Amino acid sequence: MRKTRRREGGRSAAAGGATHVFRLFVAGNESNSAQAKGNLVRLCEEHLKGRYQIETVDVLKDAVTAHENNVLVTPTLILIRPLPKVTVLGNLSDTSQVLAALRLTGDER
Amino acid sequence: MKGQKTPYLELEAKMKEAEALIRVLRTHQVDAIVGERHIMLVRLKQAEENLKSSRNQLRALAAYLLSVRENERAVIARELHDEFGQALTSLQLGLSWVAAKVTPKQQPLREKIRSLSTLTSTMIRSVRKIARELRPGVLDELGLVKTLQSEVREFEGHTGIRCRFETNLGKVRFDRLGGVAVFRIVQAALTNVARHAEASRAIIALRKRKKDLILTVSDNGKGITKKQVSSQNSLGIIGMRERALALDGTLTLTGSKSEGTTLTVRIPLSRVLTGKGS
Repeated sequence: MRKTRRREGGRSAAAGGATHVFRLFVAGNESNSAQAKGNLVRLCEEHLKGRYQIETVDVLKDAVTAHENNVLVTPTLILIRPLPKVTVLGNLSDTSQVLAALRLTGDER
Repeated sequence: MKGQKTPYLELEAKMKEAEALIRVLRTHQVDAIVGERHIMLVRLKQAEENLKSSRNQLRALAAYLLSVRENERAVIARELHDEFGQALTSLQLGLSWVAAKVTPKQQPLREKIRSLSTLTSTMIRSVRKIARELRPGVLDELGLVKTLQSEVREFEGHTGIRCRFETNLGKVRFDRLGGVAVFRIVQAALTNVARHAEASRAIIALRKRKKDLILTVSDNGKGITKKQVSSQNSLGIIGMRERALALDGTLTLTGSKSEGTTLTVRIPLSRVLTGKGS
């Protein structure tokens, strides 16, 4: 089961940044999954306001997509676009590491 | 050259993935493992919290049971000493009175009274000993340090194991529960020395170091194995550890054949001394 949340066309998008497409694999509403969802939305709102798209995949309902994406554990976040793809594991609570992994530090602001 | 670089980069990427996986597993940031056929939910954090909570409850229960036991011992010791001891003393006095009334012609009766009097004296000593073991009166009267000195002397007399008691504690007042706990730990440790260590010497030290009270009981016996230390059958060790933990302390046991066994208990001074003493 996929749920997509789009935030496009805001102030930053007008500034010309590329839209970031994320796919977040979660397990229902388990604590780490819920934290990951919340943390991802917060980070996107702070650093990619208006130019991000989050697709949430619940592995308990859609295991096929998880296998296709080589997901071993949840929560797993995959940055689909812009390339290259990046995979981040965990509840995304370590903000600085997550931002660095997603290339959202420095000039990406 | 390019053909060599690609597998290396792939390997490096896999290593990084593995490291990331280990990190999130270690930090309990995973809530499901996606297998080929099944998805397994893992609630490590929750399980750990439940375990911690159960352990705390058990520890609180153990501490409560220990205090109840000490109180019961104190009551039984007092009853034994005051009631039974008093009655035996009266009996002894009565026998002396009867002995004084016996004429020289009543030799068999005199012998009987003497033997009853000896028996009564033995019973009085036994009652005192049992009462002291249940609840050492000197602990309340003289304090922990002197009680331990006396206990160590008595242990040396019973077992023949040469003992030394060392302390750097001056005039400090131990809180009742704290004093009893330390005393019981020393008793249990000495029992272990006598029963298992095959030692000829033991040193018991009670020291104040910074904000902690450090108790060590070391011997020159055959040592102790790690398996024995952590065994569920080592009830004496478990009991000592529970007493230390109830006072926010720790207990460690180390030993080897060449060095004997050393028991170290560390308890915050604030948990064993009375407000004035600490």
